[in-house]
Amino acid sequence: MEEYPEELRTPPVTLIALVGCPQHHPLISTHLHSEQPPINTLALPDLSKISLLLSSADKNSLPPPDPSSIPTAGILKRDWLLKHRTRVPAVVAALFSSDHVSGDPAQWLQLCTDLENLKALIRPKNIKLVVIVVHSSSMDDISEDGMIALCKRAELDSKCLVIFNPSDSSQLKQSLNKLGSTFAELANTYYRDEGRRIKTRVEKKSFNSNELNIRYCFKVAVYAEFRRDWVEALRFYEDAYHTLREMIGTANRLPVIQRLVEIKTVAEQLHFKISTLLLHGGKVIEAVTWFRQHFASYRKLLGAAEAIFLHWEWMSRQFLVFAELLETSSKAIHSNSNSALGTSERSFTEWEFHPAYYYQLAGHYLKEKTKSFELSLSMLQNADEIDGSSESVTPSVYVGQFARLLEQGDAFAVQPLTDEEYTRYAIAEGKRFQDSFEIIALLKKSYESYINLKAQRMASHCGFLMAQEYFAVSDFSNAKQLLDGVAALYRQEGWVTLLWEVLGFLRECSRKCGILKEFIEYSLEMAALPVSSGTGVQSFRANECGPAGPASLAQRENIHKEVFQLVSGETGVVSVEDNSDLKVNRENPLHLEIDLVSPLRMVLLASVAFHEQIIKPGVPALITLSLLSQLPLTVDIDQLEVQFNQSECNFIIINAQKPPSAEISNSQQSRQVESAPSLVLVTNKWLRLTYAIKSEQSGKLECIYVIAKMGPHFTICCRAESPASMDDLPLWKFEDRVETFPTKDPALAFSGQKLAQVEEPDPQVDLILGATGPALVGECFVIPVTVASKGHDIFSGELKINLVDVRGGGLFSPREAEPFSMDNHHVELLGVNGPEGEDESPVGYDKIKKIQQSFGLVSVPVLQDGESWSCKLEIKWHRPKPIMVFVSLGYFRDSNEMTSQKIHVHKNLQIEGKTAVLISHHFMLPFRQDPLLLSKLKPVSSSDQGTSLPLKETSILCVSAKNCSEVPLQLQSMSIEMDDDVERSFTLHHSGEDIFGPAYLVPGEEFKKVFTVIPEVESSNLNLGSVSLRWRRNLQSKDQSSSTAEAWVLTRHKLPDVNVELSPLVLTVDCPPYAILGDPFTYSVKIRNQTQLLQEVKFSLADAQSFVISGSHSDTVFVLPKSEHVLGYKIVPLASGLQQLPRVTVISVRYSAGFQPSNVASTVFVFPTKPHFKTADMGDKGMESIVAD
Amino acid sequence: MIACVAVIGHQNNPLYIQSFTEADDALKLHHIVHCSLDVVEERVNNPKKSGPTLNETFLGLLYPTENYKVYGYLTNTKVKFILVTTDLDVRDADVRNFFRRFHAAYVDAVSNPFHVPGKKITSKTFAERVSNIVKSFGLSSAG
Repeated sequence: MEEYPEELRTPPVTLIALVGCPQHHPLISTHLHSEQPPINTLALPDLSKISLLLSSADKNSLPPPDPSSIPTAGILKRDWLLKHRTRVPAVVAALFSSDHVSGDPAQWLQLCTDLENLKALIRPKNIKLVVIVVHSSSMDDISEDGMIALCKRAELDSKCLVIFNPSDSSQLKQSLNKLGSTFAELANTYYRDEGRRIKTRVEKKSFNSNELNIRYCFKVAVYAEFRRDWVEALRFYEDAYHTLREMIGTANRLPVIQRLVEIKTVAEQLHFKISTLLLHGGKVIEAVTWFRQHFASYRKLLGAAEAIFLHWEWMSRQFLVFAELLETSSKAIHSNSNSALGTSERSFTEWEFHPAYYYQLAGHYLKEKTKSFELSLSMLQNADEIDGSSESVTPSVYVGQFARLLEQGDAFAVQPLTDEEYTRYAIAEGKRFQDSFEIIALLKKSYESYINLKAQRMASHCGFLMAQEYFAVSDFSNAKQLLDGVAALYRQEGWVTLLWEVLGFLRECSRKCGILKEFIEYSLEMAALPVSSGTGVQSFRANECGPAGPASLAQRENIHKEVFQLVSGETGVVSVEDNSDLKVNRENPLHLEIDLVSPLRMVLLASVAFHEQIIKPGVPALITLSLLSQLPLTVDIDQLEVQFNQSECNFIIINAQKPPSAEISNSQQSRQVESAPSLVLVTNKWLRLTYAIKSEQSGKLECIYVIAKMGPHFTICCRAESPASMDDLPLWKFEDRVETFPTKDPALAFSGQKLAQVEEPDPQVDLILGATGPALVGECFVIPVTVASKGHDIFSGELKINLVDVRGGGLFSPREAEPFSMDNHHVELLGVNGPEGEDESPVGYDKIKKIQQSFGLVSVPVLQDGESWSCKLEIKWHRPKPIMVFVSLGYFRDSNEMTSQKIHVHKNLQIEGKTAVLISHHFMLPFRQDPLLLSKLKPVSSSDQGTSLPLKETSILCVSAKNCSEVPLQLQSMSIEMDDDVERSFTLHHSGEDIFGPAYLVPGEEFKKVFTVIPEVESSNLNLGSVSLRWRRNLQSKDQSSSTAEAWVLTRHKLPDVNVELSPLVLTVDCPPYAILGDPFTYSVKIRNQTQLLQEVKFSLADAQSFVISGSHSDTVFVLPKSEHVLGYKIVPLASGLQQLPRVTVISVRYSAGFQPSNVASTVFVFPTKPHFKTADMGDKGMESIVAD
Repeated sequence: MIACVAVIGHQNNPLYIQSFTEADDALKLHHIVHCSLDVVEERVNNPKKSGPTLNETFLGLLYPTENYKVYGYLTNTKVKFILVTTDLDVRDADVRNFFRRFHAAYVDAVSNPFHVPGKKITSKTFAERVSNIVKSFGLSSAG
């Protein structure tokens, strides 16, 4: 676009001329220029200058008197547009000072003459005149008469006379604005008139040639543009364009080549104008459509064969210019194009709205031009000839025409050219340009634009074309950089043929740069590409393809052979840059690395699988090494080296068919060396090798590299892959090929890993946990642990003990509050006791001993083979709970911890903690005596009410302890003890006596003890203290020394608080312990009133079958305060055996409380005859114990 | 005349590409087919722009090159078909018809139990069918 002249590229701007009073010109022209639309100003100091300007213009611009009579020499004049934009004003403004108008007559006369001259000059050209009267000083005033006279003189409208007052700023502004509008209006009129004048010529068709028609249309359009009438401008440009298109076949004015050149040049200008107008109007779709038409109508007009390159150059320029136009107006486009695309017909595609597309095609056509230009150049016989003859050729007066300028003395003469001369001239011109750089620049723009559009494939294509140009101009580093990016995309998407082509260029680049390693890498990759001459991929013929040659199997084989000749040192590569012969030899060994993402995985793929995931140290483990190559020919490997992370496991596989080189046998003697009958890689066939390796070191054993040596100085280092997680081969994965497993065993191919875990050496130490049954809550449970060496010496041994809750979770539960235990651990590791005497002599090793509640760490002394050491774990349960005891021993086999490995032995044992004794209690009242306890009468909340005891009455507390464990227990004592700082407020009998010496309690047995309690204060919650039971395991059967270890275990059982209250009535049933058949006895019910009140008591007695009763059956009695009432009955038993006494029911009216003795209390045994008892030994105490049972 | 047809897989890799020109422009056609994938991607990713063709398998004209027109088709399994033709005046109906028949042929080819999905189509029957379809392209409208 830059090569177009300025006047063509920018829209035309109105031109006016200012004459006279030059001191005011800058002010006025600045103002006019900032007008909207702007007005350009020609500033002429005085009138003589304008005559120069216009008269010179006069000569050229006057149309021929009769246009139809003279044959036209061209279509458009080259300088016509420029002339109208810079030299022919639409309005001439004459500036006169006011004192000239109102001054003396001489000045007035001068003014009139000037005006006359000016009018004479501009009238023939219809240029409008404006007279500006400038206030020379602020004082003087211009008379009305003077103004009218001036108007008359100048034959002007009054509006064309402007008074200009530069001294007053407000008036200045006003007059400037007036000037601007007047100029704009007059200029508009001028351009309209001029346009109309020519338009009539077009409409009347008053010409006989298309040239004139085009020229007139063009002029009308330009005048319309001056007026900013874009629609008319567009219409006439299009008319001109279409007329021009018709001329192609008809015009015969010029020789054939030059005619076409002229037409195309004019078409280009018209097209440019149309496109610009459309794009600036935001009509993108129309512009693109227009461009398509333009392209379609001219693309076939190749012209004569020798000048065909001109066509391509022209085409390229069309695309370039349109691309630039699109780009400059892209902001306006982008907002429009989206909606336009959605609604418009589908014939437009995305790229047609992006400059990238046009840049790319511009590059493409320029490439075409280069090709045909070279052809034209070669067709010329001698190249020197053209240089001399073309010097005097210049562009002629008409657009798109050239002529020879002949110097004839002082004058120049213009002579038309023949086509041959013109072609030579064009070729000579063409030789001056470096098209390659131009192409690269175009493609680069396209490339970047496509990248911005995220069209990476288009960009890659442009990149490839660019790289080809770089390659053509021997800029290999740039070419390589581009090609590498392109190749990456083709590799990723599997476009093998395209990749082949790119790699061919890359290979050539690295060859020319002399980079041997890259040359070999690219060559190997090419050789391994899945290119075959089968279906699917077609082979290209030689003239089409680049340096790679045709993509075919044969070519792959050629490349393969070439590479292997090179790496074997037979041939070399000649570098272009330093012209040296590069070879693979001792000085330049070649080492390629292939990792998991390398494209060279196709060349060599190494898969390594351990047969076992876990291997034992020192035991040979099988490992399968599989190699795959897609190279077209078989490859011989001299030697394979397998490297592990444990370098002592590395081994070498030697090809048995080749003599091992001396350096291998010298340097790596210590390593394992295997020999394989042959190491030949056949295309797409796994080479499987299985060997055994040994590792002494525990931990991870991973195969890292497989290094293949394929010649004296060529190695490929291939990263090992696990068959289980191996990716498919790039590119080959899309091919329909035979796929086999890397290992013989398919299962191994799916699961095989390149790494294995080497186990620790087997421990030769016994760790024994001697457990003795379930543990009992509260006791200190002892677990003996024995470490016995059976072959290994133990150094720096450590014993770790962990207590873990079997049910999961810790040994701590915050929810269960434990009132009696300070720590919240239910199970506690109390300590670890070493064997006797060991604790006192901590010598010879660092004694570590850490004991926490559920964790312990103890160091084990140095033990020689066969020795043993033991300790005891003391564990205490606070709650019944099963736990797991984990004991692990870690030790070294020798005293040097750095070299030897730690060996671990683990043991665990589940131990249940059980409650040993279950203590329960209940309260009883004395036999046949029932105090009335008012609190028991209340029906509410009887369930949660504690036990109520009568005040100052004897109550009996019966405590029983049951052995719930599975071992016999030994009881020492049972007593009721008060909690600390609580005073005893009741009388307790039998509390502190250790009545049972060693009392044994077998499992399931219950031990009972009876206490008598007489509460002494009335209290709703009387603290009775707690039962303390001392017991221990009865270990008499074991031969362990239980005397010291087994201490008495104290189990406490808290007694609930009791309610003590005074009972108002106490009912005592009195009857003999037994009766004799037919023998009468007295049965009395005593009602004692303990209150200060008179108590009304109703009673009734039910009859009993077995007895004859005498006494009142029912009655109401009154019991006096603090006195006793006795209901006495005489009863005769009628039947023997255990008999139910007559039931007496007593009802206290005051308390609404009824009472009936229990069945047990109202039963008596009736003997048939009087028995004989030996009652002498039995005291009170014995009697009571029996009763309690 | 059809210059080239191609089946493009999920990773934008060619599954089948065949050119039918006498001239030696197979490589150029490969480039054209590959470049057209950008347009396919653009159309698939920005369905707004394509408007009414949202649910259609036929993607329409992808882009015009100086001598060719490239049409695209996207199957429901996201396999792309590309057609490169040298005719500059092609009726949409013809192209749609072509793609329909081509799709049928493709479905038959991949239904072969010995065909591994995602691999190149090497079936000779498929190639024959495709060349028949290519030969009959545009005939229906002419005759």
